[in-house]
Amino acid sequence: MITPPEVSWIAIAPDLILALGAAVVLLVEVQWKPAARVLGLVTAFSLVLAVGATLLQKLAVEDAMLAADPERLVAFSGMILMDGFAVFSRFALLGATVLGVLTGWRYIEGLGRRGAEALALIMLATVGFSIMVASNNLVMMFLGLEVGSIALYVLAGMSRERPESDEAAIKYFLLGSFASAFFVYGVALIYAGTGKLAILDIRAFFDQFIVTSPTVIYIGIGLVIAGLGFKVSAAPFHSWAPDVYQGAPAGVVGYMAAVAKIAGFAAMARILLTALGDLDSIWLPIVAALAALSMFVGSTLALVQGDVRRMLAYSGVAHAGFIMTGVVGGETQGILFYLAVYAVQLLGAFAVVVAVSGASGARSSIDDYRGLARRSPGLAGSFTVLLLGMAGLPLTSGFIAKFGVFTDAWNSGYEWLVVVAVLASVIAFAFYLRIIVAMYMDEAEEEAPALVPTVRWVVGLAVVATIAWGIFPGSLLDLAANALAL
Amino acid sequence: MLDSVTLADYLPIALMLVLAGLFVVGSLVASRFVRPDRPTPEKLDPYECGIVPEVEPIQRFPVKFYLVAMLFVIFDVEIIFLFAWASIYVRLGWFGVGAILIFTFFVFETLAYVWKRGALDWNVRQRSRYLPSDAVDEAA
Repeated sequence: MITPPEVSWIAIAPDLILALGAAVVLLVEVQWKPAARVLGLVTAFSLVLAVGATLLQKLAVEDAMLAADPERLVAFSGMILMDGFAVFSRFALLGATVLGVLTGWRYIEGLGRRGAEALALIMLATVGFSIMVASNNLVMMFLGLEVGSIALYVLAGMSRERPESDEAAIKYFLLGSFASAFFVYGVALIYAGTGKLAILDIRAFFDQFIVTSPTVIYIGIGLVIAGLGFKVSAAPFHSWAPDVYQGAPAGVVGYMAAVAKIAGFAAMARILLTALGDLDSIWLPIVAALAALSMFVGSTLALVQGDVRRMLAYSGVAHAGFIMTGVVGGETQGILFYLAVYAVQLLGAFAVVVAVSGASGARSSIDDYRGLARRSPGLAGSFTVLLLGMAGLPLTSGFIAKFGVFTDAWNSGYEWLVVVAVLASVIAFAFYLRIIVAMYMDEAEEEAPALVPTVRWVVGLAVVATIAWGIFPGSLLDLAANALAL
Repeated sequence: MLDSVTLADYLPIALMLVLAGLFVVGSLVASRFVRPDRPTPEKLDPYECGIVPEVEPIQRFPVKFYLVAMLFVIFDVEIIFLFAWASIYVRLGWFGVGAILIFTFFVFETLAYVWKRGALDWNVRQRSRYLPSDAVDEAA
């Protein structure tokens, strides 16, 4: 007799809503060929509903925690988890999606009839990553990873008329598939070694048994780290990032980078901290080495970039290193806080790029930013705040985030990594400063860029969040602290 | 616990590999000795039926084949799921019905979308409605 898994609609409600939203957008488009605004409204409606469903999930999680009944949060026979960790990551993903759609709205509108595809792909990518962060099963996680990644590959190539976009899509697709293969091979080896696929079962397995011949599992862990390291663009798996950040349509790059980082690190935290927590003597050195390499490579290479989008890509590599420092620290609070803060700053920064160099973003050389302070002081000021936030200056959210992950890493005995991280932060400060100097010290050459209202909202929101979370980080820190994985 | 899984458990697979290899080599060698050997020019052609190719094809193939192949894969996957479900649908009960309905909805949604967008119109040359102006109809 087969017992069908218990259906828990609430556990997958946000994903179902967004998947339906994507289907509706596509069907409405082919049937009625409405104006882009209508499709945008459908998307906005789906996103609002999904956020509402995630709020309900949060309430359900709090209920279950009060009742001391965490079993309630395991859904679909242990495939999906609705724990605080998943809910927080989902909020971050949905927030990034909202900001991403707003940033890219002008671009999506300009795509004409293909705009519906862009909207649907954005929603489907969020569905995939949202399942990934909530999965308790490595195969489920892989499915979510693929759904999200494949949508992102297509998004990277949306601007068919620009060869750079094609190049970005092909590179992203080939290297991404390669990384997915690494990940799934690692999953297979972990399964071969333990006989378990569910995260919680793997943890129970290592609590219960001491593995006598663990080579297979070790190789599996290495492959999983390599696969996820690619997705979050950690060195030495970062080579795709600059080309994709530069080639993909500027309107959606910020979204792509943000959701991939959130989901990748949430999955990494789940696998390494929860499932393989007992084997930390194995993976801690690997992750620490990757973190140090990422911070060093990202910061130094960002110094020599002449293109703001490439610079943001290398800064993303450095940030992957900082977040990995948080993984070494072993506290989900630090990781989640950093992810949320960085995602907002990244999306805000790319909104500025869209404002300065246009929605398809043909050019984003640092020369375009010279004298921006004279042309449009508000935009230059906002970009300055966002860049300083990424650099981790005190009174910005970036400082609290960096401070959190550094403290965690220090407490877990990786003092040398913290030293490397602080050095890398100093190097990183130099290239953020380079843009700020170009904006304020140089003469204006061109007209002030025309700001699209939706882009203005995103920039404004990101700036407010960066300052507000920098001065009053308490509420977000509490949320992240309560977002515990089962 | 883990010691129960050893390389010896993979012995049947290894044996299978060896047997498969032996079968291939064996049947090729055996047929070489058993069959009559009377080649004619027709028999040595790459294809026994159809027109003998004169030159390598230089023009591009229509990308429609690619679309058909992709649609085929979609329906192939659908059949795999439907088949598994159909063989035990009684025991799965309403859960199975619900799951398969959601699944087929999204598959048919895909079909409806590509159909409406004209991906299945074989003879349509001009699809400029969907493409940026410079990418229209390169294959012509």
